[in-house]
Amino acid sequence: MSLVSGKLENEKVTIDDSSPESTARIHLVFDRGKLKSQEPASTIFFMGGG
Amino acid sequence: MKVGLRTALILITLLICAGSAAAQGNQPQLSAQDQKVIDYLVRDWGEDYSVTTVDQAMKAVKVESSEENRFRIGSYIKAHPELHEIIRRWGWVTLVLTPEEKLIARALINAQRDGKPAPSLSELAKAVGIKEPDVKRGIAMLTRYEILTRDGKAAEYTVAPRYIKWEPRLDFVFHNLALDGGRQFSVN
Repeated sequence: MSLVSGKLENEKVTIDDSSPESTARIHLVFDRGKLKSQEPASTIFFMGGG
Repeated sequence: MKVGLRTALILITLLICAGSAAAQGNQPQLSAQDQKVIDYLVRDWGEDYSVTTVDQAMKAVKVESSEENRFRIGSYIKAHPELHEIIRRWGWVTLVLTPEEKLIARALINAQRDGKPAPSLSELAKAVGIKEPDVKRGIAMLTRYEILTRDGKAAEYTVAPRYIKWEPRLDFVFHNLALDGGRQFSVN
């Protein structure tokens, strides 16, 4: 929510994340709330909030 | 009889005070630079839902990181949950370990939980995507924090039982954010 409609919506944000399943890393880049790149390419990203 | 009871109470009080002083004496002394990192974290925690880690804070306040000062600061956080609600909510482990240390712990825990042999240094290096000397440094840090214990003479490590029982998908995770302006923090 912060990424798309909050404090970070106009920022370029890089996220380095750990996979919940293994020791793999996930790298995501957002620019102004939109996903620009993802590694690995097979990453499935869910965006939501409530 | 009353005198005996009073003497006993005084002795017990003195013993408690001495024990408390000894425990405080075991606490590593923070340097001025260490305190700068702690002060930054206490101010930063909770801002933008942040669960900022020690290594991120050290970069933010431009304190050169070493195994020693990271361990000193981490041990202080571990011993002082009263510093901030974030420590009590997410636990010191989340805040004091680097992403690499978390992934090493995760690889060892997953293997032990699944009843598989502990991964070798080279297997850990491959799994975490770092070099073997960095794996060794990570293992040393996890051992200092008593998350791992070394199995006698064998070069194998056992994970402390309490960490085996952690929720598999939620343990030793990290979600690090970097903004273009330079701010770095974690969320959970």
